[in-house]
Amino acid sequence: MPQIAGHRRVTARLCARSLIALVGSYAAASGLAALFARLAPIARVEATLWAMIASFAVFAAFGLWAFHEPRLGRVAAVIWGIAAASIGLALALGVRP
Amino acid sequence: MSGAAAKGVRQSMAWIHGWLGLLAGWILFAMFLTGTASYFRPEITRWMQPELNLPETSPVQAAQTAFAHMQATAPDALQWYIYLPDARRRETRIFAMPRPNPDPNAPRPKRAGEIKLDPQTGTPLAARETRGGEHFYRFHFQLQLPHPWGRWLAGLCAMFMLAAIISGVITHKRIFVDFFLLRWGKGQRSWLDAHNVTAVLALPFHAMITYTGLITLVVMYMPWPILANYPKPAAFAAEAYGTAPEVPAAGRPAPLAPVAPMIADAARAWQGGRPDSIVVRNPGDAAATVTLARSGNDRLNARGGSIVYSGASGQRLSMSPEPGPAIRTAGVLLGLHLASFAGPVLRWTAFLLGLTGTAMVGTGLVLWTAKRRRPGAAPFLGLRLVERLNIGAIACLPAGMAAYLLANRLLPADLAGRADMEVSAMFQLWFGLAALSLLRPAARAWSETLAVAAALFAALPVVNALTTGRGIVHSIAAGDGLFVAFDLVFLSCAGLLGFAAWRARRQPSPRVRQPRMRPASIGEGVSHGV
Repeated sequence: MPQIAGHRRVTARLCARSLIALVGSYAAASGLAALFARLAPIARVEATLWAMIASFAVFAAFGLWAFHEPRLGRVAAVIWGIAAASIGLALALGVRP
Repeated sequence: MSGAAAKGVRQSMAWIHGWLGLLAGWILFAMFLTGTASYFRPEITRWMQPELNLPETSPVQAAQTAFAHMQATAPDALQWYIYLPDARRRETRIFAMPRPNPDPNAPRPKRAGEIKLDPQTGTPLAARETRGGEHFYRFHFQLQLPHPWGRWLAGLCAMFMLAAIISGVITHKRIFVDFFLLRWGKGQRSWLDAHNVTAVLALPFHAMITYTGLITLVVMYMPWPILANYPKPAAFAAEAYGTAPEVPAAGRPAPLAPVAPMIADAARAWQGGRPDSIVVRNPGDAAATVTLARSGNDRLNARGGSIVYSGASGQRLSMSPEPGPAIRTAGVLLGLHLASFAGPVLRWTAFLLGLTGTAMVGTGLVLWTAKRRRPGAAPFLGLRLVERLNIGAIACLPAGMAAYLLANRLLPADLAGRADMEVSAMFQLWFGLAALSLLRPAARAWSETLAVAAALFAALPVVNALTTGRGIVHSIAAGDGLFVAFDLVFLSCAGLLGFAAWRARRQPSPRVRQPRMRPASIGEGVSHGV
């Protein structure tokens, strides 16, 4: 039954895409916000708040792009990649001394 | 960008817009509608306690009477919390935090609840128990779910709303042309026009209210920048907003200095600003402190800062630091969402814009069904489901809100647990009516549930006149603007819902589609990649 198998595949890919758009984009926005807050050369309370204020726009941008970009592999690589790199770097740097 | 690429973006954005709007639409509709009502949170509470009719009192007098009451009832408390009245919220609210027993085995002292005082005399007020406007306000971002799930769900829906606004703007290439188009009686085309007009008309408001809504709970939704910078999250709050030092009691008694000079000194420091709350730590002790927090009602920035005074000498001890640009920006974003700064004209404007947002979400939800209906064909399961949920969310929620207000008047004023019963009345009527509407054909269900909602709103002024001494005739004679305004708003709601019921009856469904008029940019499924 190739048709049903194809339908399942489309559904699975849509689920994967939705998961990246929602969870992956949140992770990427969180990692970038934490990294900016940690590294921006301004007072730490200011850096913290600017990062928090801007984070939702970054989240929305990643989420929309995740549905716009046709190649699912590219979506996964870019968003999970940014999330892993930024969160990893923020963790490696640790809390601002 | 080439024309084909632009078309590709618009198509994918239209597809996202439709699905985001559908998935979050019903909750967003309820968030918009109850949030809009919350612009009048203190006024709704005043309407729901008709036995109270307090005049406006100066903060100085309210602080003095509250201090006297606290002195008499809780002289040994650890802290006093005093929330001062203003032009809109007329009573003083207080509570005392008891001193913990030094004996670790002793039972924890019972925490006294909040008490409302008459600010003129400092005596406790007796009025019917109600959540008042607080209920709509809390529901608007907690959705009556256990903490923290309601807030997370509301935040998720707000995020969907933000993405829907961005994708909606990209979708509508003819945004300013659409603005002037509202064609009645053309089925799907009319719903699209109505959706576009309500969306474009108040686009800056929708974008602002959505983004600032996320900012109100940003510490919960996006705590990671704090964790990257501070070993303890409390240190962030202390650095950003300044917190009063927790000075231990000296153990030597000393009378509290008068509060009026402190308020006068704070007004000078704030260039005319006034306090909205006072925290007294260790009252009656030589190390007592009095912290005055500035009201955000006189400016855009909702975070006002605070000043700490010595309770014994009345001298100023410290003042919260001058905020930097980011802290001010966050405070202004919060202020824009709450609109505490708004005077009557701006507040009514915000209320109407909020209704526009509600209508935008509602028309979007109806458009989803109008677009997918095929003439002559039986509606598919998803379409029937969405239509039923639309009826339950759009037509039945206003009826539930009216039931909440009616219950306030119909339940006996001295009934125990009546505040919770008022809240249940809203949900029972809302969900009950939605369940009943399932028994009717969809087209009928629309007009019938809308008619029920209209009738409930029309009943409010009548029930108010019968059960209180503050009916519309008396209110007009007494010049009681608040109660007159409520009756007029109830009648307007009844008229609006009645008109909607009449329109829904007139328009037979399913509607005839006119493919020629369907714009290419709207709503076709984008299948690429998925």
